[in-house]
Amino acid sequence: MIDWFRQIQWEHLFDPELAWNSLPLLLQGLQITLLIALSSMAFSLVLGLFLAVGRMSKRWYFYLPARMYISFMRGTPLLVFLFILYYGIPVLGIQFNSAIVAAIVGISMNFAAYSAEVIRSAIMSVPRGQWESAASLQMTYWQTLRRIVIPQATRIALPPTTNIFLDIVKGTSLASVITVHELLYSARLVAGQTFDSMTMYITAALIYWGVCIVIGYFQERLEVRYNRYLTKR
Amino acid sequence: MITVEKLKKVYDDTTVLKSIDFTVKKGEVVCLVGPSGSGKTTLLRCLNLLEVPEEGTVTIGKKTVDFGGKKLSKKDTNELRAYSGMVFQGFHLFPHKTVIENIIEAPLVVQGRDKKELVAEGEELLQKVGMLEHKDKYPDALSGGQQQRAAIARALMMKPEVMLFDEPTSALDPQTVGEVLRVIEDLAKEGQTMVIVTHEMNFARRVSNQVLFMDGGYIVEKGEPEDVLVSPKEKRTREFLQLIKE
Repeated sequence: MIDWFRQIQWEHLFDPELAWNSLPLLLQGLQITLLIALSSMAFSLVLGLFLAVGRMSKRWYFYLPARMYISFMRGTPLLVFLFILYYGIPVLGIQFNSAIVAAIVGISMNFAAYSAEVIRSAIMSVPRGQWESAASLQMTYWQTLRRIVIPQATRIALPPTTNIFLDIVKGTSLASVITVHELLYSARLVAGQTFDSMTMYITAALIYWGVCIVIGYFQERLEVRYNRYLTKR
Repeated sequence: MITVEKLKKVYDDTTVLKSIDFTVKKGEVVCLVGPSGSGKTTLLRCLNLLEVPEEGTVTIGKKTVDFGGKKLSKKDTNELRAYSGMVFQGFHLFPHKTVIENIIEAPLVVQGRDKKELVAEGEELLQKVGMLEHKDKYPDALSGGQQQRAAIARALMMKPEVMLFDEPTSALDPQTVGEVLRVIEDLAKEGQTMVIVTHEMNFARRVSNQVLFMDGGYIVEKGEPEDVLVSPKEKRTREFLQLIKE
């Protein structure tokens, strides 16, 4: 045990110089990571909202497809779905003109299913009395949803939605497998050339962590904003 | 103003309203009283279609809806609802909006009216229910009585011909019941047509022109408040009044 500890070459564990020198390349990768992450957050949220509304519909031709979709996306690995999109679909004659687009489409479609369930549970947790009082004031379903229910549901959905966003940021690393030159891909490139995996992957991990800390900060800010109508007790 | 004929409401296999007939004249205040489970609240909710009856007709103002047969259309629902405003036992104010935002919401969104005009109108109404000083507060910061007065103002903003009250004071602390009842009495004095489900018998005697006593899905007895609440003809009414006296 002690021998093992002694033989560790500490200078090889983390090489600050290499980390520093490869930073420009990693930050280039980060740009792609952020591009994919931010667009996927937006798309998955919008698609998730429609799926949630469809899932709650009383009409079978809305809720059945929504349920199927959610079940499939939650029940299949994102990586497998990305392979289907990038390597499988071209068989049908449809080809994404870039791997980035395929990644955005895949990640958005996959996480929309999780979003849908979060949004649905948040909408259902808004008391029925809110719907009834809005109806008695002649507000329509969509007016009530948009003006009364969604603002209240947003507050409830904020923490679980942040979790989804964090998963999206981390999930973008899977895009490296379909040749997208994002953060992990860049790190792997340098690691392959320098044989210093430890330094490169630790650096990449720290950058991912940094992005997630920023998202966590936004969550806190938004929670304060959305809780302003509640009296502090 | 309101005519209800042969109204019937069934939940699964229990018939909650068996055959309800009554009329309310313009400017009249009608109180619905009776034991819990008698169908009072269901009847009130049928008037603005939060519950859809299975049979019978409801006429409010110029709109008649016949429930026998085909499915109720959105158009009929909206047209009938436009005649009534509803006040709930649990207030149901919109918690993410201030008092003034709450009361201008429906006319702003549904009728597309001018916001400035609505704020002025809303403040006048809040003054009337004694809530003007709280206009920029969120519901969570208000007492039950204050929330209910704001909810009354919110319903009045749509200028309904009829106001429907579903046990408006049942969820309130005893000390705030009075302030809400006073607001309703003021409306009665102004000639607002109202249907009120209540357990406050003294209030019912003071404010109403007509009392309907319900039990088991029927209107057992109806008439002047002094007749129904003081010297009722029906045995079931007497038993009920005896029970709540004790």
